[in-house]
Amino acid sequence: MLRKVVSHVGLILAVVIVLFPILWVLRTSLVPAHDSYSTAILPAVTLDNYRALFADKDFGRNYLNSLIVAGLSVVLTMPLAAMTGYAFARFRTGGRIARFATLASQMLPPVALALPTFMLFRTLGLTNSLLGLTIVYAAINLPFLIWILMGFFESIPEDLEGAAMTDGATRWGAFWRVVLPVAAPGIMAAAVLGFILSWNEFLFALILNGSSTATVPVALASLQTSNGVQISNVAAGVSLAILPLMIAAKFIQKYLVEGLSFGSVK
Amino acid sequence: MPAIKLNNISRDYGLGIFGVQDVSLDIEEGEFMVLLGPSGCGKSTTLRMIAGLEETTSGEISIAGRDVTRLAPRARNVAVVFQSYALYPHMSVRENMRFGMKMRKTPRAEQEARIAQAAEVLGLQAYLDRKPSALSGGQRQRVALGRAIVREPDVFLMDEPLSNLDAKLRGEMRQELVKLHRRVGKTTVFVTHDHVEAMTMGDRICIMRNGRIEQVGPPLEVYARPRNTFVAQFLASPAMNLIPAELTASDGGIALGAGPIAGPLPAREAAAYRAGVGRALQFGLRAEDIATEAKPGTLPFEGSVTAVEALGNENLIAVESGGHRIAARVDRHFLPKLGETVTLHADLAHMHLFDAADGEALVREA
Repeated sequence: MLRKVVSHVGLILAVVIVLFPILWVLRTSLVPAHDSYSTAILPAVTLDNYRALFADKDFGRNYLNSLIVAGLSVVLTMPLAAMTGYAFARFRTGGRIARFATLASQMLPPVALALPTFMLFRTLGLTNSLLGLTIVYAAINLPFLIWILMGFFESIPEDLEGAAMTDGATRWGAFWRVVLPVAAPGIMAAAVLGFILSWNEFLFALILNGSSTATVPVALASLQTSNGVQISNVAAGVSLAILPLMIAAKFIQKYLVEGLSFGSVK
Repeated sequence: MPAIKLNNISRDYGLGIFGVQDVSLDIEEGEFMVLLGPSGCGKSTTLRMIAGLEETTSGEISIAGRDVTRLAPRARNVAVVFQSYALYPHMSVRENMRFGMKMRKTPRAEQEARIAQAAEVLGLQAYLDRKPSALSGGQRQRVALGRAIVREPDVFLMDEPLSNLDAKLRGEMRQELVKLHRRVGKTTVFVTHDHVEAMTMGDRICIMRNGRIEQVGPPLEVYARPRNTFVAQFLASPAMNLIPAELTASDGGIALGAGPIAGPLPAREAAAYRAGVGRALQFGLRAEDIATEAKPGTLPFEGSVTAVEALGNENLIAVESGGHRIAARVDRHFLPKLGETVTLHADLAHMHLFDAADGEALVREA
């Protein structure tokens, strides 16, 4: 009994330590600006910080930009990642070198790619454009998502496709009608991860895009002005920025827990 | 015309590694052919080559007179039952069975009729709307069979379909499969490593080793006349006793010297194995051909008991004699103690002789 109490107290403490910064940001976003740095827990509640963010700073547009760029890049990446991941998992496509190159591309620091990308995109007229940033995010996330999906496809028994193909399906039909539905939880999880990565990306968004096409991380950084950090606005912006991630995390949890064990094979 | 004709087929993985090498086999229409062998002998690879799931690097495969060697699996009209069952986990039992017919554009009414019929035969009516995850192992196995049956293929290919079931269920399914085969009458190729399945189910069995065929024939014939020591040992449990031996001519007859089992051969065996005199041989005798009492045509030998397995209906004992371990299947009332010295009798009417060098059986001349 005592052990149970102690372990629960410990766990509660850990939860508070982890959640405290997030909760304090939420608290700061909801109190008047002059109370931002006070230690009072909730001296007053107001939505002024949010109002100011949308009215004075055009945060709505930044938010929409982020949603468009992150969403579109996922839509663009997932079919490519699924097909490439499947090819890597099932055939000897490109051999070990292709697999390694895919992973190796992730080891390069992003800043090494930022300047060449900027020069290339300026020539193509893709700077300061949501399309340009979408393409960049798709390209950055593709190798990572290929790698994740390859793992999911490898965990699906090959006999399933054998059964589908002797049942009359083509290889493509087996992929489409059997493998994809079975891999759905993995694909959803990968899509959510891809979305989160794009949503949080800062460096390329800063370098490639201007104010009209700025995303949430860039907009939040711009609140650090020569007059100091507008902490109440930042807190409101961060609270809103976390929202899609929390929804996404919920999704990931559901799908990952669901897992791949459907009882198709013993 | 055979239902399936394998003509010198090989699966070459490169670097001189073969999954299957120069296999030729004719499987007749309606026949139940069992491919039997230890792990890695190429039996599953052969089956997958027939299905088109494994590339045939040389040779030809024909099904119902049609060369299918280069055809995709879907164009071969075969149905495969996998060891893992490979049921589509996101589909109900009904949809699993329907999938193949849908792919082949079977009319809807016909689909329903075939599903209903298969469900009745296999006792699956109550489970048609369940997902595979909500079924027991035995039920999943039936769904896998049902999925194959409704397709009405030219050939059934079964890759160790019973190996995931518990012993009792396996025995039941064995009999059901045989019944089903009689009823449907379709050519079936059945892969297993279990010699009991092979003996009880096959019209013929094909024993494989290292990617090659060792012997093909009706089960009892292969059991009675194994072509070599591998077949002799693989097709029984306990494996056939093998003892280095020689035959010598003496007093107009022939004498056998096989470790502790030594003495004159009975006249029939002496006549049959005359060609073996003076050669380096292996004497083979199955465990059940060792008796506890003397009979005409037996040779006695003594041994010290090293193992006793009382199975209830019979006992398996092992004795050590002159450096040889000899297994015997004896009556359940014959229950010696470990270390006890017993006298057993080798029944020479059922003896086998193999060449010591290549393991090939000596042909009985009479």
